[in-house]
Amino acid sequence: MDVTYARDDVVTFTKSIYSLIIFLVLWEAVAQMGLVYYYYLPPLSDVLARFVELTLSGEIPYHSYLTLRRALVGLVIGTVFGILVGILIARNAVAEWFFDPIIKIGYPIPIIALVPVFMLWFGIGDQSKIIMVAIGTFWPIAVNARNSAQRIDKNYIRSARMMGTSDRRLLWRVVFPAASPGIVTGLQIALPLSLIITFVFEMVAGGGGLGALEIEGVRTFDPTQVYATIIAIMLIGIALDRALRLLRNHYLRWV
Amino acid sequence: MAHADTGSLGVLPRRFQHATRLIVDWIPLAIVVVLWEFASGTAVPADVLPSPVTVSVQIADLLATGEIFSHLFVSLFRFGVGLGLSIAVGVVLGIGMARSAPIENFFDVFLSMLYPIPKVALVPLAMLWLGVGTGPAVLVVFLACLLPIIMNSYNAAGDVDQNLVWSAKMMGTEGWELLRKVVIPATIPHILTGIRQAIPIAFIALVSAELVASYEGIGYLILEAGQVGNYSLMFANIVVISAVAYAFVTGFEIARDRVVVWT
Repeated sequence: MDVTYARDDVVTFTKSIYSLIIFLVLWEAVAQMGLVYYYYLPPLSDVLARFVELTLSGEIPYHSYLTLRRALVGLVIGTVFGILVGILIARNAVAEWFFDPIIKIGYPIPIIALVPVFMLWFGIGDQSKIIMVAIGTFWPIAVNARNSAQRIDKNYIRSARMMGTSDRRLLWRVVFPAASPGIVTGLQIALPLSLIITFVFEMVAGGGGLGALEIEGVRTFDPTQVYATIIAIMLIGIALDRALRLLRNHYLRWV
Repeated sequence: MAHADTGSLGVLPRRFQHATRLIVDWIPLAIVVVLWEFASGTAVPADVLPSPVTVSVQIADLLATGEIFSHLFVSLFRFGVGLGLSIAVGVVLGIGMARSAPIENFFDVFLSMLYPIPKVALVPLAMLWLGVGTGPAVLVVFLACLLPIIMNSYNAAGDVDQNLVWSAKMMGTEGWELLRKVVIPATIPHILTGIRQAIPIAFIALVSAELVASYEGIGYLILEAGQVGNYSLMFANIVVISAVAYAFVTGFEIARDRVVVWT
């Protein structure tokens, strides 16, 4: 039995990646035969060699660190404020009255259009990038935390109150858990957004990071650097996506 | 909890209630705008934060002289072509993958590799292939919108009510006709959800591509105005592109609710 299962797995696996293998072989062959300009599509082997070279030289790790630090610090700040404001809106009529129209106007703004504004206000350094990520990620977190917290079954709150739960405990034990599915939904939007803001900011304003490394490849006519950086970005994207899924499965088991 | 002040409004004649509600609802924004007006030139230099009046005058000026329209048309053309292509390709791929295992096996691996990459990170790659201008912008908008549209069409086409499919088959509907008469109508509301999700993503991709790889379009105008220090022009362009993005999302939702009446 085990053997057949194993063979089925192999068949399924092969079926699911054969197209990728064809694609990669074609890429290498077409590029090696010089059917496309090196500048457009360098051979896969050159790209992989460059990726290894940039990784061992410490360039990719260093620029990944810069990018991740900006994106994640900003994301954490945006998330904390987003949760606070989102829950406040859901629990307090005055806060709702005040923040709702601001969110209605603020959320649809294509945040990326504000890169030149943040360059003007806070310069081109890390601080400016982190503030922009924090403000950009604030909206989806606040909106989703609010939506979740507003849907709390009133009976939960009444029961907790009846059993003498204090305001603070109510917030921590009832409101916050009820808002957490929305917070995770918000994070699923905010996490890619934090990377988008960081990459574009780095491409426009420099200061290191994967976005800057990538655009430098274009400016110095070095296509392998562009491709190698995209591989690094893809790996980081996969890792962060996995981390978020783990977080969701861990914290939202009870949903 | 919404509109906790309804009670106090009850004393007003009914026809005033709506207008009053509207005013009360939008007072917070008025507060922000007034604070902004006062802060500009006092707390912060008027250069760094042009007042709402200055920005409004600038917008009126841009519209009156028609200066902005050529750039706006360039941006909207890129938005439209990129989103249109992603709808055409995404719907076909999504439905195809849901209804046919070989198609799914072929494309699935590429989509799972594209998924974790923030699509704006492909702007430099698009520049290698297509240079600067409309080409890379269209490509990046297309790639950014592709996944939400594929995902929604795929899930919907896979979840079509089997009773509908069986009934149609029993009455002799097969193959292409089954797809056209049963699967696609059942999928359309979800495809529209996918497009609705894609519109804001398209604007982010568009502006990113125009900031990095363009000498035309609203994204380029914003960056250029900032670089030459014409900050009221920079803010005016940001307001214009935000208003356009907002109008597209709202307009699309209204149109969808009118067209899709069968759900």
